[in-house]
Amino acid sequence: MSTDVEDLLREGMERFTADLRAPAGLTCQIARRRRRRRLALRSVTGGVAVLAAGAAALAVIVLPRVNGTGQPAVDAAYIVKNVSNALNATAPGTIAQMTVTTSGGPTGTTTAEEWSNGEQWRSVLYSSPGHPVYDEGYSTTTGYTLVSYLTKTWARQPGLGRPFALPASVLPGKPACAPAIGAFPVLFRLGLPGTSSSASSLPTTVATALRTAVSCGSLTVAGRQTVDGTETIKLTSRPGSLISETIWVSPSSYLPVRVVTRSAAGLPPVQQTADFTWLQPTAQNLAKLTVPIPAGFREVPLLQAIAPNLKQIPVGTLPKPLPHPLLLPSALGIPRPALQCSAAKLPRLAGIC
Amino acid sequence: MAAERSAADLECFLAERADHLLRTAVLLAGSREAGEDLLQTAVERLLRRWRRFDGDPEGYLRRTLCNLATDRHRRAGRWRQKERLLRAELRQAQDPAGDVDLRDALVRLLLRLPARQRAALVLRYWEQLTDAEAAAVLGCAEGTVKSAVSRGLTRMRELADEWNDTAAVSGREEERS
Repeated sequence: MSTDVEDLLREGMERFTADLRAPAGLTCQIARRRRRRRLALRSVTGGVAVLAAGAAALAVIVLPRVNGTGQPAVDAAYIVKNVSNALNATAPGTIAQMTVTTSGGPTGTTTAEEWSNGEQWRSVLYSSPGHPVYDEGYSTTTGYTLVSYLTKTWARQPGLGRPFALPASVLPGKPACAPAIGAFPVLFRLGLPGTSSSASSLPTTVATALRTAVSCGSLTVAGRQTVDGTETIKLTSRPGSLISETIWVSPSSYLPVRVVTRSAAGLPPVQQTADFTWLQPTAQNLAKLTVPIPAGFREVPLLQAIAPNLKQIPVGTLPKPLPHPLLLPSALGIPRPALQCSAAKLPRLAGIC
Repeated sequence: MAAERSAADLECFLAERADHLLRTAVLLAGSREAGEDLLQTAVERLLRRWRRFDGDPEGYLRRTLCNLATDRHRRAGRWRQKERLLRAELRQAQDPAGDVDLRDALVRLLLRLPARQRAALVLRYWEQLTDAEAAAVLGCAEGTVKSAVSRGLTRMRELADEWNDTAAVSGREEERS
């Protein structure tokens, strides 16, 4: 019998793999996989990497760093390096889709769907009953477009909404931790239109932010976990971070799968969950990047379309981050006094008034 | 200096050999999903250097698959844990009433061997390489391949013998009843 083992093994291997066929267009799949990684940094920035940086950034800006040991998390650093490389290795093409659910915020539970493809992006915010609140986006041809379902109005302004990088110098504090803010704003948006043309959309910004988050000691590896049937590596923020965050990344592709952030004790309990999926650039999916103007909606100046949304944010309900450059008066093209009225109600704007 | 290769050349090569390489990858990785991932990673590496690639692409991919599988296995550090699982599974496999035949049991045992042993057996008995060729792919001495194959086969023979003994006992009991 023993002499037949080799033959039996051959037959077993043959049988075990008999129905396997390599997928057609393997190189295309690989190109897509590389694109996914790169795009992950673009919209996921809004998601994953940003969050990785978020706690460190906030800790630098708002509070003294709780983790002051300066000890880099070696395992986290290794994983973050791979995530960063994976995201940087992708190419534009695939459409990144992110679904962000926010609960416990001043406006109840909201869901936002975001798509990005290269510099083009779109974000739709839904209220808790599932009605769209506003729909905004940017394309190189039309610039920034906002549709407000609250007032049945829409506005368009060329020159706004393009992804950009925040200079590291905007932050005070330890220089090594400062660039983390560059990827900060997307998931921590207040539900305001005009804020999601994230600085984080630039891969280099996010890669830097991730590395900074690790060097600032804000991330640690918390083992492996299955998310929706997929095995993932779990990264969590260290205890005491201003924002508690958990990031799950695929151990094979090192692309982010899900991000959950929670505000720390003492702050209003807000939780955001972001799930990531990737869409092929079909005509149908590309259409998702375009902000449709519903029939009967009235065109108004941008500020007029934004104003109702600003008023929904209660005073002091969220931590005070840095002002988003798009909310600078010069960026909005509106006079400073007009913003001063809103600033009293909106912590985010307080810093620029 | 090698002439530049086009993407179409790679497509042609993959159209011809990707099925076989996928099967190798699955045997090395242990599951279809892991095998596909392994192959994609290997092809991605080849793709990066394809235009100036000078050599046998199949050999390169085979070597990369083996290295990736070994790295992953080593990183996971799970083979000892898998051995414990294997023992439990072998006990199940000895049940002749089960519809799993010896060939399947051997492959399952193969998939639970340490990565280098598994790679050596796959290269020898699936890829049908000689010991020397397998050693070149694995980047080790010929003797290392021989001993890895020998150890793997020894365990498989043990399994086959136990299997046959159990089947014989079971057959006698059936005859009596």
